[in-house]
Amino acid sequence: MLTTLIRRELLDNLMTFRFAVAVLIMLLLVVANTAVLLKDYEQRLTLYNDAVKTHQQQLQEKKTYSAGITYAGEMRIDRPPNPLSIFNTGFDKRIGNKVTVSHTYVPSLWDSGWHGSNPFMDMFASMDIAFIFEVILSLLALVFAYDTLAGEYEHGTLRLILTHSVRRGHILLAKYISAMLCLLVPLLMSLLLAVILLTTTPSIFLNTDDFLRIGGIILASVVYLSVFYLIGLLISAATRRTSTALMLAMFVWGFLVLVYPNVILAVIPRPEAPQTRAASAFGQIQQIWQVEFSGELGHFLTTNASPEIDWDLGLTGSGAEPYAYSWKDPQTLYYSFENIFAFEGFDEKEEHKIPHAQSYFRFLGRLVTRTADQTWLIRKPALEDIFIHPANVKRIWLKLSPVGLYDAATQAWAGTDLHGARDFFDAARRYRQEVIDALYDKEAFGSRQWFSSDKGAADWSILPQFSFQRADVNTNAKRALPDVSILLMINIVIFILIFLIFVKSEV
Amino acid sequence: MWHIAKRELYDNLNSLRFALATFLLLGLMLTNAVVHLREHPERVQKYIENVTAHQNRLKSHANASFYELAQKGPGTLHKKPSALHFCAGRGEAFLSAHVSSIQSWSWQERGLEGLWSLWYPSATPNRNNVDPDVTKVDWGFIIGYVLSLLALLFTFDSISSEREYGTLRLMLANAMPRHTVLIGKFLGALISISIPFTLAVLVNLLVISTSSDAYLGADAWGRLGIIYFIALLYTCLFLALGLLVSARVQRSAVSLVILLLAWVTLIVFMPSTLASIAGRSLPLKWERVSQRERRAEYNKHWHEAHGDQRKQLQLSGEYVTKDAEQRERLHEAHLKQGISQVNRARSITRFSPGTIVEHLLESFAGTGFERHLQFLENVQSYARQFREFIVDTDSADPESLHIFGVREGVSQKSVNPETVPKFEDTRNFRRDFDAAAMDLLLLTLFFVVFLSGAFLVFVRVEV
Repeated sequence: MLTTLIRRELLDNLMTFRFAVAVLIMLLLVVANTAVLLKDYEQRLTLYNDAVKTHQQQLQEKKTYSAGITYAGEMRIDRPPNPLSIFNTGFDKRIGNKVTVSHTYVPSLWDSGWHGSNPFMDMFASMDIAFIFEVILSLLALVFAYDTLAGEYEHGTLRLILTHSVRRGHILLAKYISAMLCLLVPLLMSLLLAVILLTTTPSIFLNTDDFLRIGGIILASVVYLSVFYLIGLLISAATRRTSTALMLAMFVWGFLVLVYPNVILAVIPRPEAPQTRAASAFGQIQQIWQVEFSGELGHFLTTNASPEIDWDLGLTGSGAEPYAYSWKDPQTLYYSFENIFAFEGFDEKEEHKIPHAQSYFRFLGRLVTRTADQTWLIRKPALEDIFIHPANVKRIWLKLSPVGLYDAATQAWAGTDLHGARDFFDAARRYRQEVIDALYDKEAFGSRQWFSSDKGAADWSILPQFSFQRADVNTNAKRALPDVSILLMINIVIFILIFLIFVKSEV
Repeated sequence: MWHIAKRELYDNLNSLRFALATFLLLGLMLTNAVVHLREHPERVQKYIENVTAHQNRLKSHANASFYELAQKGPGTLHKKPSALHFCAGRGEAFLSAHVSSIQSWSWQERGLEGLWSLWYPSATPNRNNVDPDVTKVDWGFIIGYVLSLLALLFTFDSISSEREYGTLRLMLANAMPRHTVLIGKFLGALISISIPFTLAVLVNLLVISTSSDAYLGADAWGRLGIIYFIALLYTCLFLALGLLVSARVQRSAVSLVILLLAWVTLIVFMPSTLASIAGRSLPLKWERVSQRERRAEYNKHWHEAHGDQRKQLQLSGEYVTKDAEQRERLHEAHLKQGISQVNRARSITRFSPGTIVEHLLESFAGTGFERHLQFLENVQSYARQFREFIVDTDSADPESLHIFGVREGVSQKSVNPETVPKFEDTRNFRRDFDAAAMDLLLLTLFFVVFLSGAFLVFVRVEV
């Protein structure tokens, strides 16, 4: 009986004009946008490759270690664009994509910069496939659903069906299954076309993990689609009149898709001013640098074999002037001290100061590294409190709408969510550690090349290469599945509601 | 005709959609007003602080010495926030609110420092921002997205449902020309949708104007009036589109599906897709200034002129001023590249009425890109004025050598701070209107095309 019902419903749906329009529009939008997005991705990839090349060149041009490995120096690493960002751009085009690696500070998201494009162009909203689905799929689902039950009530056909010994649950199930099958056609077709375009692009190599991620995105899309279909069905069952159901469905759509995600963040109370937290943390950090660090440095300078009070050690020579500088930013709690020497040669009479300078830099390198690590222990939780926690609260508010849940889930699958963006900075911090280890191994801090290139320039090949791997698919799944499960739960709850209403209703 | 309009109006007033639309618009406009009242005072406060700091800086430089003032330049110039920020404030975050004059180097050996040049920083609010990405709810959003959708919801069935029920045939059986029916329906829908919209606008403005923090002057009210009429024109466009499809299609459900998909394509997808096709965010080229060579050349000449102090001063002055000119030229070229890219993207996105109305609202609200360009022009003309002032002041001093860029070469007197020109970020209504005229015409064109389309279709359709 169920199959008969499903077949009837399926035919009913497939033959309609709205189905044809739905398929056509969906395919058109997704294909056109995928093509544009792929071009955009390729552009970003070129920018990334250029940036990597220039940064390496600029590093090679630096003749001393101290000139290269600093905050303002040239030791920059870049974040490659994520090919799955065409499904959901997320943070891929927003968060800074280059960061300086130095022993003088621990890099974080708030120290990042941006390679490439025109910043004015950020003005234009960016688009991705998840956004198309968010808007169109929900609309289509509601348009398919609003008259399924209300229409049958109105035409009296429901009474006719129920005169046969058909269970009401079966009718509901048949309607749900057949409509979902219909709606899956445009969804899967357009996704398939997008994937075909993706795989035929020469600059993109997708591995098994990527296909699994795309599978995850498809799963999330199906569940999202189902939520909106069920919402439409609920409205249809509750109102019993097609025109009312249609209006209600449209307003619900407008509210959930258009209004709620954009309004809610303006309405919720703003978090308590993090200014005090920032000020106290920055005070602590400043304290460490200005008191402990300076104290130890001063102690070293005065007790050393050839006492010298100034940081420049009284060294004079040809080439760039030495300088020492503290960079700081109270907003992002950034603080670092750097001491850059880039001599190209010395007089004979300066030669006796060289061993002293070497021991000074050996000491300074360790001290700066240790202080940077020490302040990071304060900075890290403070940054979490000031920036990440309020943002996460906002994210939870957004998830009260299925649109927010779907967006979060697809971002997590694509790896363009905040976690994905932060993975890069985790990798940057690991890389910094590797660089420091390599510097220790090769005794670079105490070497003459640290401050002078007169006896050979700095050898940058001793440093490890940086490469960034996106999180594996298990991690993506772990980040995405909570949201997908909530979506599934919403599905079940609404289905039960519809069932209760439909069973109790008089025909 | 009025009869039909009245009938439509009564029909609509009692309907569910009217209630829901009123509710939705009121809610959005209230949110908008509350958010504006929360944020605007802070914005104004910050602007005032910045301007005071800027003026104090100028004063202290002027009091210190003429050289200080001439060398350090006017400092940071700030953009005045618009009182109508709530109308179209979405784009503002991406435009820098200030232009600075910077001194980029100092050369202690020679006792030289760089001459100021204008530097146009870019606003990158997203680089370190971990908050979720949402659109700000301003009038632009409410009108561009919500009002247009409502207009379609009010008209999608106005003809097709009458045909479905057979009442259209009844109506036309009377001696009633078809265009009268169409215009009547159009007016009815327009009036019934402008009721909730006007109500919401009034509530919004009432809330905003009760607070003394967000003062609206006569000029602002005039601009608000224009914005209101633009919103109505934009609504008319979508009403006409709704009538067009509704007259052509047999069934209301089909009409709605077509309209919704057209709306989604026109309003939601077209702007961003077209922008990314047009702009594709090309990287901006930075020419590198080759300091080293110029410095070497200067050094050579300087050593050659050994003993002739005046010559050396002249050489130094020339080096410093040329360097500043070159920097400023580079910064300006960089800025121009960026602007021309945006302008290209903006003109291509004009295919979408949603973008047109956004541009219009921005023009009249005094926010957005056109306004930013005006601000940049103001800054540049002020920079010229400042330079003229420096030259004039120096030439008024007979003891000065008139060699700019070096301390010994210019007037040694201090400057009366009152005489230093002040930066005023003015807005010109005529310019706003000129910028908007094109968009206004386009919007009207869209409206006329849709309305005449609806007319043609309706006249020829079989009932």
